[in-house]
Amino acid sequence: MPILDFLLPKDGKKQRVILLGSGALSIGQAGEFDYSGSQAVKALEEEGLEIIIINPNIASVQTNKGANKRVYLYPVTPFWIKKIIKIEKPVAIISSFGGQTSLNCVIELEKSGVLKKYNVKVLGTQVNALEMSEDRELFAQKMKSINAPIAKSHAVSTVKEALETAEQIGYPVITRSAFALGGLGSGLAVTAAELKKLTQAALMSSPQVLIEKSLHGWKEIEYEVMRDKTGNTITICNMENFDPMGIHTGDSIVIAPCQTINNIENNMLRDMAIKIARNVGIVGECNVQYALNPKDYGFYVIEINARLSRSSALASKATGYPIAYIAAKIVIGFDLLELKNPVTGTTSAFYEPSLDYVTLKVPRWDLSKFSGVSKNLGTQMKSVGEVMAIGRNFCEVMQKALRMVNENEDGITVNFFKDASDEDIEKELLSPTNLRVFAIYEAFKRGKTLEYAYEKTKIDYWFLSHILYLAKVEKELLNFFKLEVKKDSVTAQELYDAYKQIPKDFLQHLKSRGFSDLQLVKIYLSACLDSKIKLSIKEIRNLSFAVRKLRKKLGILPVVKQIDTTSSEYPTKSNYLYLTYGGIHSDVSSKKNEKSIITLGSGSYRIGSSLEFDWCSVMTSSYFKNKKNDSVIINCNPETVSTDYSASDRLYFEELSFERVLDIIDIEGPKGVIACMGGQNPNNLIQPLSEAKVNILGHSQKSVAGAEDREKFSAMLDKLGIDQPEWTSAVSIADIEKFIKKVGFPVLIRPSFVLSGTLMNVATDKKSLDYYLSLTRDISVDFPVVISKFILDAKEIECDGVAKNGEVILSIVSEHIENAGVHSGDATMVFPARKIYVRTVNIIKDIVRKIVKGLNLNGPFNIQFIAKDNDVKVIECNARASRSFPFISKVSGVNLAEVSCKVMNDETVKKILIDESEIPYVGVKASMFSFQRLDGADPVVGVEMASTGEVGCLGEEFNHAMLLSMEATRIIKPQKGILLSTGREKDKVKFMEVVDNLYKLGIPVYATKGSTKYLEGRGYSVNTVHWNRSPRAVDVIIDGKVDFVININKNLSVDEINNNSEIRKTAIKCGCSILTNLEKAMAYLRAYDSYDELQNIENCISL
Amino acid sequence: MEQTKEILDKKYKKACLELSNGVKLKGNAIGADIIVSGEMVFNTGMLGYSEAMTDPSYLGQILVFSFCLIGNYGIPDLKIGDFFMSKGHESSSIKTQGIIVSDIYDGCHHHDGGISLEDWMKSQGVPGISGIDTRYLVQMIRENENLSGRIIPEGAKLQDKNKFEFLKNFTDDEYVDPSKYNLIPSVSAKEKVIMSKGSKKVAVIDCGAKWNIMRMLVERNCGVELLPWDSDFSKVKCDGWIISNGPGDPKNTGDLVERIKKDVLSSDKPILGICLGHQLLSLASGAKTKRLNHGHRSHNQPVFSFPEKNAYMSSQNHRYAVEKNSIQPGWMLWFENANDGSVEGLKHETKPFMSVQFHPEASSGPNDTSWIMDKFVGSL
Repeated sequence: MPILDFLLPKDGKKQRVILLGSGALSIGQAGEFDYSGSQAVKALEEEGLEIIIINPNIASVQTNKGANKRVYLYPVTPFWIKKIIKIEKPVAIISSFGGQTSLNCVIELEKSGVLKKYNVKVLGTQVNALEMSEDRELFAQKMKSINAPIAKSHAVSTVKEALETAEQIGYPVITRSAFALGGLGSGLAVTAAELKKLTQAALMSSPQVLIEKSLHGWKEIEYEVMRDKTGNTITICNMENFDPMGIHTGDSIVIAPCQTINNIENNMLRDMAIKIARNVGIVGECNVQYALNPKDYGFYVIEINARLSRSSALASKATGYPIAYIAAKIVIGFDLLELKNPVTGTTSAFYEPSLDYVTLKVPRWDLSKFSGVSKNLGTQMKSVGEVMAIGRNFCEVMQKALRMVNENEDGITVNFFKDASDEDIEKELLSPTNLRVFAIYEAFKRGKTLEYAYEKTKIDYWFLSHILYLAKVEKELLNFFKLEVKKDSVTAQELYDAYKQIPKDFLQHLKSRGFSDLQLVKIYLSACLDSKIKLSIKEIRNLSFAVRKLRKKLGILPVVKQIDTTSSEYPTKSNYLYLTYGGIHSDVSSKKNEKSIITLGSGSYRIGSSLEFDWCSVMTSSYFKNKKNDSVIINCNPETVSTDYSASDRLYFEELSFERVLDIIDIEGPKGVIACMGGQNPNNLIQPLSEAKVNILGHSQKSVAGAEDREKFSAMLDKLGIDQPEWTSAVSIADIEKFIKKVGFPVLIRPSFVLSGTLMNVATDKKSLDYYLSLTRDISVDFPVVISKFILDAKEIECDGVAKNGEVILSIVSEHIENAGVHSGDATMVFPARKIYVRTVNIIKDIVRKIVKGLNLNGPFNIQFIAKDNDVKVIECNARASRSFPFISKVSGVNLAEVSCKVMNDETVKKILIDESEIPYVGVKASMFSFQRLDGADPVVGVEMASTGEVGCLGEEFNHAMLLSMEATRIIKPQKGILLSTGREKDKVKFMEVVDNLYKLGIPVYATKGSTKYLEGRGYSVNTVHWNRSPRAVDVIIDGKVDFVININKNLSVDEINNNSEIRKTAIKCGCSILTNLEKAMAYLRAYDSYDELQNIENCISL
Repeated sequence: MEQTKEILDKKYKKACLELSNGVKLKGNAIGADIIVSGEMVFNTGMLGYSEAMTDPSYLGQILVFSFCLIGNYGIPDLKIGDFFMSKGHESSSIKTQGIIVSDIYDGCHHHDGGISLEDWMKSQGVPGISGIDTRYLVQMIRENENLSGRIIPEGAKLQDKNKFEFLKNFTDDEYVDPSKYNLIPSVSAKEKVIMSKGSKKVAVIDCGAKWNIMRMLVERNCGVELLPWDSDFSKVKCDGWIISNGPGDPKNTGDLVERIKKDVLSSDKPILGICLGHQLLSLASGAKTKRLNHGHRSHNQPVFSFPEKNAYMSSQNHRYAVEKNSIQPGWMLWFENANDGSVEGLKHETKPFMSVQFHPEASSGPNDTSWIMDKFVGSL
C-alpha cells in the first residue's frame, strides 16, 4: 500500500487528519493557501481520510462543508489546535498547506510535547527540518555542511577588520551599522577607499559594523522542488524575477520559466536545489531562492521555504502541474513513481513540466488606499494580489499582465510619465515604485538607450530590450498616422480606414506583441485627435469595434492553446487554456454547442475584492459543472481555486477585458455569461457585453444600471418612498458649499472618476473639506463629486439575498458592530443580528421587497442601510453577489451562491424562509489588516476600505464568536499594559460601561489626559501620558509597557487624525493589538465577560 | 552591446517550411540563405539550444524547438585551442540541417555569450525559420511517423553536398531521410585523438560523441582517446570503453556491431554505451532494436533503475530503442522509462558492461545521472 500504515482505516473507521489553514488573508500570506489547501483536501479525500480543517477564513473554498471533512473556524494557534486534537483524536497533522502560520504552530506543538502526548504524527517534512529552514543560524550551518553558498554578515569593529573582510568576500560590499535604527551608517562600498570612509563614520556611532556582500543587481531566481519519502526528487518549475535583488519577490514581476540564464546555470541551480531538499529532509514540496551573479557563475542560496508557498501556487498555474495535490499524496505516503501526472492521465508524476509558452506574474498594489505609505518598493512586501499572463513572447505577456492587473490600463503604453521630467523618470528607475515599468517605457520613448536603462535599473538586457522594442513598435505604428492638422472628432469608419492601410503582417505582429484593440484605438487617437478632446470610455470602446471588425475581415484572430505540461510531446485532453496571437492553430476546436455557461472570475485580489468573490465564482462554476452544463471559467489570478483545472470543464486563464471575453464568446458560443458572481470587476463588463448582444444571465443590464447609476437609483427610491441620506452631484465648489449649507457637516465626499472608492473621505469641517477636495482633481461637469450627508451614531445594517424576476426568494439581515462610517468591508459583522429591533427588520425587509421589485432584480444582491432608532435609510444596492455571501451562507446553512445559480439557470425556485432562531450559533465576521507590512501606514479605519482579509468565527453566544474572531485577526488579550485614548466626551462616558473588564485584567492602564479624568473620576488608578511631554504616549509603547492600544478619534478632522496617527503607527510597529473604533472596542472588552468560559470550553463548534 | 540596439528592428526575409505531408508553413528566414532538407524532429527542452544544435546525433535533421523563445543568452565563444572544454558546444560545428523556432532573440548579453544565435547560424551556413507555430508543428511531427521537411528561404541557394558525407546520397528535389544511411562516418573523428593522459585509459568509440562525455572523463582524471568508428579495436590498449552517442539507425552502421562484439565485448574490460552506443552494444549482445512511433526528445524523460527503483530526470534524443523481450540471458534490465515502459538501460549480470539510452553527460539537460560516469570510471 502506498499510503502510510497508520492512516489506513481501523475497525472500519476512517482515520482523521488535521489540515491547518493560514487564517485571514494578509499581505504576504494570501489566497494561494486556499488554493493549495483545497487541492490537499481533494487529494486526501480520495485516499479515504477524514479531514479536520482548522481555519477561520470563512470565505475560503477549503472551509466549505464536505462529506469527509469537518471545519473548525477557529484561530490557527497552538491553543485551539490542541483543543481540537482532544476532541477529534486525529492520527496526524499536516502543516505545509497553511503558510507560515500553520508551520509555526506545528513547530510549537511539537516542542511543547502536545503532539507526542496525543500521539499525533506530523506528515511530510519533519519538525526538525522545518525548524532548520526557519532558524537563520541553523540554516547557515546546514548550508555550509553541504557546500551551499550563502551570503553571510561579518561583524567588524575596526576599519582594518572591515577592509580585510571586504577583501575576503569581494567588492562591492554593504555596510550596516549594528545598533542604529533607520539605516544610519549603512551604505554601499565599491572600493576600499569608499569602505574606509563608510566604516569610519559608522564606527563613530556604533561599536560594530556588519559587512555583507552586496547582491544589488544580481538575478533573483527560484526553484520549486518536490521530494518523496524514497528520496526521488524533481524540480517542477524555475522562475526569474524581472526586478533584480532588492525588491521582495512578492513585489517583483516574475517570469516562468527563467529566460536569461543558460543551460549550465539552470542545471547548477537545479542540482543545488535538489541537494538542499535531500539534505534538509523535505518530504513534499519546498522552494529554494537564489541570488545569481549576472557577471559570472557565482550564486548564493537566499532562503528555503519548506512548505507550499505563493511561488508554488504560481508554479502550479504556470506549468499546469498540480503541485499541492501531488504534495498532499506524497505526505501521506505515496512516492512519485506511484502517481500519474493528472494533466496527461497517462504519464508519470515523476516529471518536470516542459513549457512551450511563457508566463508573467505582475503584482497588484493598492498603495493609494493606505494613507502615509511610501510607494517605493523594497525588501518589505506591499502588494495585495497578483495576476499571471500566458503567451508566446515576452511583449505579449507583459502587455496582457499589465491589463489584467488594472482593468483601466491598456498595456505598457499607458502614459503615467508623459508629463514627468527626465530627472523624475531617472529617479523612478533608480528607486522604483509600482510604476517603474512604465517609466522604463517612457525613457525609451524619449530615446534613452538600453545601456542607460540597465545602468539605472540593473534589469537584464533581455527584458529591457523587449520594452525598447515595444516603444519602437509604437513609434512605427504612429508613422502611419501622420496628420497635418489634428481632428476634433473621429468616426469608426475613419479608424477602420486608418488601420486598413497598415500592412496585414504588421497588424498581426502588433496583436502578437500584445496590443489590445483599445490600445490601438488610443494610439491612433493620440496621433490624430486634438489633445483637448477627451472621449469617454464608452466612445473609445465603440471605436474599438472598428479594429475588431477589420481584424475579423483580415482573419487576424487569436488561437486557443492548451497548457499540458509536456509541450505537446504527448497528446492530452487538458482543459487548461489560453489565447494567443502567436500561432495559427487552435488546440481545441470551437464548441458552439450553446450549452456552455461562462463564469467571469474576479481577477486580481485587491482591497475590496478578494477570496470571497473567488468563492462565489467557484460555487457557480461547480454548480454548472455538476449540472452537466459545459462550465467555463475565465480568470487570471494564479492564487485562486477558480483557476484550478478541476473547478470547471474548461478554464481560460485570460484577461477579463471586454475584448478577450468577446474572443472567448466567439469561440465558445455559450448559452450565457455570468458576470455578477466575481465582484465589481466582471460586473463592470455587463453593460458593454449586453450592448454587444451577449446573453448575460441573472440581472438585466437595466437592473444593474438602475442600481449603479446614483441618479437613477435615487430617483427610484424617491418614487418608492424609501428614505436615503441627502446627496448631490456637485460640479462646482459653489454647488458643494450650497449643499453643505443645507445639510451641514459632516459630509461624505466621493469623487466620481474614481472607480475603486479611492479618495472617499468624510469632511467634518471647512478645513478638512478643503484638504480632501485638494486631493481630487478639478471639479467639473465631466468630473462631478458626489457629496452626501454623513449620519453619525447610526447603525449599519446589510441585507444579502437572491431575487427572481423582481421577487425576493431569500433575504438575510446582518448588522455591523461599528456605527456607520466604517467601510462595510472593514466592519465587523454579526449574523444572526442581535441588536436590531424587530420593527427595524420588518421595515428593512419591506424596503428590500420594494427595491427588488423596483429594479426587477433577478439574481444575487446586497443592500446596505443605516438605521437610527427605527429610522432606516438606504445607502446603496449592489446587484451582484457581495463580500458577505460566504459568511452568510456558511452561518445560515443556505448557500446563497447556489440559490443564485438556480435563478440564473431559470430553474423553479421556491421562496426560502430562514428561521434565525434555529441557527445554533452566532457568527462574527471580522476584518484583517496588514498595517504591519506597510511602513508609514496609519491604521485608522474609515470610509475607504483598508483591510486585506477577513475571518468568520462561530460561538454559542456572541461573546465567544467575538473573542475568537478578534484573536483570529491578531487582536490578542493584553499581558503587559493597555493604552487608552477614547475619543469624544460622549464616547469617553460610554466607554466607562466596559472599563471594569479592563481593570479586571490586573495590568497597568495608561491613558491620555482626557480619558484619565474620566477614569480617575470613577476611582480607577491611571498612569497619565501626554502628547509631547514626558511621559509621552508613544514612549510607553516603544518601551514595551503596553501591548494593547485603544485609540479612538474624536472626529474625522484632519488635525485629529494626524494627532493620533503617531500613536497608532508606533503601536503597529511595536506589534501591539490596536482597536480604533469605539463600538468594536466596547464589544470586545464586554466579551471578556466570557473569556474564561471560552478558554475552558470543551466542545468546539464545527461546520 | 551597441549592436543590440537595432537588432529587434530587423525586417526579416520570408522563408517557407515545406513538409513531406504537403503542408507549407510560412515564416521569417533566419541564419544562412541556404535551402536544406532533413528529417523533422523536435525537442521540448527549454534551454540548451547551442548544445542541441552541435549534438552530432541531430545530423540530417531539422530541429523544431517547442519552447517559444530561443536564443536568449546567445552562443558561448568557442575557445580556440581549448575548444573541447568550451561548454555550450558539443562538437565543433552545428550538426542540425536547420532549426525552426517560434521567436528568436537576436542579441547576446550573457556573460558567457560570444555572438548571437543568428550570427552563429550565418557563420556556419545553417538556415532556420522563425515565426512558426511550433506547438502545431510538434503535434504534426508527433502524429506523422515519418515527416521530412525543407527550409526554403526567399532567393536562397542549395546546400553544398560536401558539408556532410551522407548528403551525397540524396538528389536536390528529394526529401532527406537520413536514417536510411550509415551516418556515423559523417560525424566520427577521422583519426585518433589523444585528449588527455591519466592513470586509467578510456577508449571512446566516436560515433558522433558529445564533447561532454570527454569532459566528464577528463574531470575524473582519465586518459581519454577518441577513436574513429572504423578503427581496429583489437589493437586498442585501454582500461575501458565508451561507445558514444551518435546519429541514425543502429542497424545501418556497417560492420560496427560485429566489430564491437568481436573486439570490445570479448576484451572483458568495462564498457559504457550511451544512446546509439547503448543500442550498438545491445545489438552486439544479441538483443534487437526497434523504431519508436515517436522518439524521446526532451530534458524531462523520467527513468528509474532496477532493482532499487530510484528515479531520475534524463536528457534524451533518440528514435530507436532496444526491444525488452529481446534482452539476452546474462543481461538485465537496468533502467526503464516511467512514461512508456521502454528500455532505458541494460547491465551485464557478471561483467562490467552497462549501457544507457539516456545521456548521463546531459549537456543540455539535467545532471541527475552523472553518477553513471562515476560508476564507470570507478569500475576501471
